[in-house]
Amino acid sequence: MSGFLAEVERRAFKQAMFATRDEDAALDIVQDAMLKLAEKYADKPPNELPMLFQRILQNTIHDHFRRQKVRNTWTTLLSAFGKGDEKDDDFDPLETLQAKSDSSAMADPARQLEQAQIVGMIEQALTRLPARQREAFLLRYWEELDVAEAAAAMGCSEGSVKTHCSRAVHALAAMLEAKGLKL
Amino acid sequence: MIRDEHEIAKKLTGYLDAGAAQLKAGTLYKLSQARGKALARLGQPARAAEGRTAQAHAYAGAGRGTGSPGSGLRKGAWLWVGVVLIAAAGFGYQQWQVYQQTREIEELDVQILSSDLPIDAYLDRGFQTWLTRFQP
Repeated sequence: MSGFLAEVERRAFKQAMFATRDEDAALDIVQDAMLKLAEKYADKPPNELPMLFQRILQNTIHDHFRRQKVRNTWTTLLSAFGKGDEKDDDFDPLETLQAKSDSSAMADPARQLEQAQIVGMIEQALTRLPARQREAFLLRYWEELDVAEAAAAMGCSEGSVKTHCSRAVHALAAMLEAKGLKL
Repeated sequence: MIRDEHEIAKKLTGYLDAGAAQLKAGTLYKLSQARGKALARLGQPARAAEGRTAQAHAYAGAGRGTGSPGSGLRKGAWLWVGVVLIAAAGFGYQQWQVYQQTREIEELDVQILSSDLPIDAYLDRGFQTWLTRFQP
């Protein structure tokens, strides 16, 4: 379980980030998903863990949006009691440091910069995709779940997964091409 | 036209992997803390979900209030919102009652003052008796 969580945590965080665009919310989501997996499915065979974890993760992301909707309603209603600017208080210099990369291909600064720009473009394009297309693309191609597993994680049919994946790839390619990035 | 979806997807996920490998040190630390928390819960039945989530969010260091879904803090906030709403409703009802009473008194005053009958007539017991006896 430890190895599995260590392997998926970064991608899970990124997935939550693409969906929420909020780092704190993404961290909470990943943590909730990990806790649920550990508490409820620790006895499951290791080959079932990826699909279970992805299902939990997607549900936790959806829950986040449901709660956010309710919270926003109340925030609007109670805006007279608005809070102060807490963002500045939470600034942590540690956050600005980049983790040491495991990749040996990152030695050249120019290439590193170019790669970072491309990654930024792709991540931005992903956040613009419709949620279901993004989910399908990430589950199917990034998490490497097969169609049946992705369908189970998303709670839809295999046909829907294929359709969402295809549309996602087309949309991403078009968005990136418009920015001058040829794949 | 797209040549091969799988080929393009593979290229894209390669870049996504690179992006995931470059997470901030602070984020990685928080993730490892979250993992440690989850591993400590291995096999334990889900219990006291509220306390668990509140504690867990503190662990993640994400506790900025608004960004902590499912926490005990939020439930406490809901409770307070409920209390405030009930108090506001009670206060509103009381104000409405006072307003209604004032209106009734005003209407009564207007009726008495605009009546042809002198006001002393209403205080005369004999007049009240006469009214009850000789009402058409």
